[in-house]
Amino acid sequence: MKLLLPDILLVLLAALIMGYDLYRGKVNLNSSKPFHLAWMGLAVIFVVLARLPYDQTVMYPGGYQVTGAALLFKQVFVLSAFFTVLLSQSYFLPNGNYRGTLKHQSEFLCIILLCTFGMFTVVSATDLLTLFVGMELSAIPLYVLSGFYKDDDLSLEASTKYMMMGAASTGLMLFGLSFFYGAAGSVTFAAIAKVCTANPSEPLLRLGVLFVLAAIGFKLTMFPFHMWAPDVYEGAPSPVTAFISVSSKAVAIAFLLILLYGPLAALHSSLQPIILILAAATMTVGNLGAMKQERLRRFMAYSSIAQAGYIVMALAGDAGSARSSVIFYLFVYAAGNYAIFFIMSAIGRNGEEERSGLQGLGKNNPGLAAILMLTAFSLAGIPPLAGFMGKFFLFAAAAKEGYYAMVVFAALNSTISLYYYLLLVKEAYIIQPAEETKALRLDAVQVCSLFLLTAVMLLAGILPSISGDILAVVG
Amino acid sequence: MNGSFLLTMIWAIPFITAVALLPVCRDDHRRIKMISLVGNSLNLLLVIGLTFAFINVSTGHPVAAGAKASQFYFTAQVPWLQMMHIEYNIGVDAISVLMMLLTAIVIFCGVLASWGVEKQAKEFFVLLNVLVAGVYGVFVSVDLFTFFVFYEIAVLPMYLLIGLWGTGKKEYASMKLTLMLVAGSAFILAGILALYFASGLNTFDLQLLSQHHFSPQFQYWVFPIIFVGFGVLGALYPFHTWSPDGHASAPTAVSMLHAGVLMKLGGYGCLRVGMYLLPEGANMWMSFFLVLVTINVLYGAFGAIKQTDLKYITAYSSVSHCGLVLFGFTALTFTGIKGGVLQMISHGLMTALFFCLIGMIYGRTHTRTVSEMGGLMKVMPFLSVAYVIVGLAGLGLPSLSGFVAEANVFVGSFSNPTTLNRICTVLAVLSIVVTAVYVLRAVNGLVNGPIADRFLTLTDASPLEKIPVTILLFCLFGMGILPGWIVDLVNEAVHPIYNNLMR
Repeated sequence: MKLLLPDILLVLLAALIMGYDLYRGKVNLNSSKPFHLAWMGLAVIFVVLARLPYDQTVMYPGGYQVTGAALLFKQVFVLSAFFTVLLSQSYFLPNGNYRGTLKHQSEFLCIILLCTFGMFTVVSATDLLTLFVGMELSAIPLYVLSGFYKDDDLSLEASTKYMMMGAASTGLMLFGLSFFYGAAGSVTFAAIAKVCTANPSEPLLRLGVLFVLAAIGFKLTMFPFHMWAPDVYEGAPSPVTAFISVSSKAVAIAFLLILLYGPLAALHSSLQPIILILAAATMTVGNLGAMKQERLRRFMAYSSIAQAGYIVMALAGDAGSARSSVIFYLFVYAAGNYAIFFIMSAIGRNGEEERSGLQGLGKNNPGLAAILMLTAFSLAGIPPLAGFMGKFFLFAAAAKEGYYAMVVFAALNSTISLYYYLLLVKEAYIIQPAEETKALRLDAVQVCSLFLLTAVMLLAGILPSISGDILAVVG
Repeated sequence: MNGSFLLTMIWAIPFITAVALLPVCRDDHRRIKMISLVGNSLNLLLVIGLTFAFINVSTGHPVAAGAKASQFYFTAQVPWLQMMHIEYNIGVDAISVLMMLLTAIVIFCGVLASWGVEKQAKEFFVLLNVLVAGVYGVFVSVDLFTFFVFYEIAVLPMYLLIGLWGTGKKEYASMKLTLMLVAGSAFILAGILALYFASGLNTFDLQLLSQHHFSPQFQYWVFPIIFVGFGVLGALYPFHTWSPDGHASAPTAVSMLHAGVLMKLGGYGCLRVGMYLLPEGANMWMSFFLVLVTINVLYGAFGAIKQTDLKYITAYSSVSHCGLVLFGFTALTFTGIKGGVLQMISHGLMTALFFCLIGMIYGRTHTRTVSEMGGLMKVMPFLSVAYVIVGLAGLGLPSLSGFVAEANVFVGSFSNPTTLNRICTVLAVLSIVVTAVYVLRAVNGLVNGPIADRFLTLTDASPLEKIPVTILLFCLFGMGILPGWIVDLVNEAVHPIYNNLMR
């Protein structure tokens, strides 16, 4: 049971936080205890995860399987939830954010935790049903979270839009999975893998792949299914946007990894061109879209679309390098994204979360400006930061299969992305603010989180070997 | 001190200097500048020490005599990332030692020349030191991955250095420069990955890769990718357009360092990665690149004629002179490659001095337009004389460094018997005449003629400013009058590359 410990702890933690609220009654809605409980609990779960052995594959009854890759994905999810919890704190404080104060903190935390549990289920699945249930468990809470500003039109619009899109995607996915079932006569991965190997040109399988790719395209914001992202990211509360941009993407890519290198492995070689075309289109659309965005949440939406493109590109590689590079990249991408969101939350205290809010940062908050610069460079993939290492491994995965032209294309794309990340740096350092700006005030949570994230970005870039587990065990 | 440890120290010291600057109070400009100066003086001494040590070692075991298998000295390997066999793998040959010496001299002078920086001095010197660390890192790397990492570290600080402390169209220029150079490195990255996977050796080690024979088809399409990738930084036509804007907008020390050293990284990469690892590709593509580079040489020279701004004149002349570096390489003869390397050094010294002087003159006259100046010889004789001398070096006057380099380039190029080479050489030699036109015109407008009243009160260089100018002048003369030891060193380093090309 040792390998199931994190999952169990996570559910217990969610129950504890919900129970605390119920037990204390309505009077204590502003208590900060659930918050402390949540982040400490998540930290403990992360430590537990990190100490589990990666080299075992254990199948539990009911088709719940824990592998090394699954454990690493769970680490990504837990870390992402951890930083979302920390990020959300200032949004629940009175005057913590210009846009308004969020209410019902323990409800929020509980939904985050349960959503994370849904993601745990996805990476442990060994049959289509578990996989599907996990995807839904992780998707539905996000619809709720997007509308957490309960009287803000934008937020409600985001929630509705997200739910509609999500419902369409779910329908497509079920439709696609049913083709797999039709071809194999069973929902287990083993049976599907057998059919795929025996008969890779089976049209039912092809149709299934088509629909599943489309469905997961929504979650991963893959071109041409990315259109919802800017609106939802813009409307949702910032911590939720951060959570969607990291966790929801991570689970979608985990889903693809599981299918492509598991049951559908025999189809992989014929899918490579499609994957590359989708990746190329996705990164281009994201990069071109991000250039003109003034509002940071929208900006991050396009930026994360582009990042999804790079990640998908690695799926053209072989199983080992795809897994290790994707997981490594998820860590560094999460670090960069959350750092930007923490800086946004600092801006958001006094004004809209817009790019112009960064003006004067270089003079007033030199430390924060330096972190912004490092983060921007990390997201753009500039050495010696983690983003470069991450992209390097992604590109190497594609290059290993001989897709050098794709590598050139992707690297040029990341040059385009450097343009808009440099706009952030430019705003912070070069542009003179029209009126005198005050130094931004950061609370202890924000300072500590930013410190942690920056340390990750620097360490994983300069000494990638400290993440040896990811690179060696999974590969 | 152990040689390889010395190499690590040389790139680490600027980093340490940058880190040491972080806790210093933001308004204590004097201390910030002193720390930078101390760090870079120390480094200058270390590099000079390295040069002597290198000469000692290499005369003991000449590569050409076969006493040593590798052309790199002071090598050391530390695994960096086991999974892909990425190593922190360092070593130097004569070219890199000389380039490091150049870097050390230029940055030492650059720090002195930017003594006047008042705006956010702390950030300026931190970024400057990071930039220098990157440059040193490139020259000591023998592993392509390490090489690439340092290369990018050297390019990126430029954005803020130009954008924040620059003049004129600085925002446009800094963005253009950064994006073009990073686009170039996108090609390099793809090329490096291609070399890694195609060789099947699972290594980024330059020496191991150089022994592997890549198939001609592979070389045919990877060579241009790598050559163009580095060529962007070497201002290869038509990818040179970042250079005039960037250099004209950059603050003095950054122009010095960028035109003096950073552009040489491009040529260095073309030679070390492109031509050394992919000799057949080089042979297949050279006539194409020869034409481009000839355009470079002529276009830069003619472009400079048209300019009225001193910095733009020098920037265009840099395009022309950096073109000569690549021109020497594309000749594919021993003398040509040697000339290219010499031109890297000569141009580095010359252009650093040019930008240094222009910065000092601009700091006084507050204009860089040639037609608005005149008669400066009366009020600032030292700076004017120095400008005349460096101008003469630019047009290749014997006994100054430019002559040594250009003579080798042109002789080397002409000795390649193909008709195209001969024609291109003749055309490129014409650029010297054009160079004379723009250099003499600028000098004439600057130092002769009537002086405007508002300039009468200007002062000559202060003692602090005279130091960098004197050092650079000394080096220009030194290389022009006693080129022997440099040429010997370069000779030895070019041998392995040339032999690979002729294989």
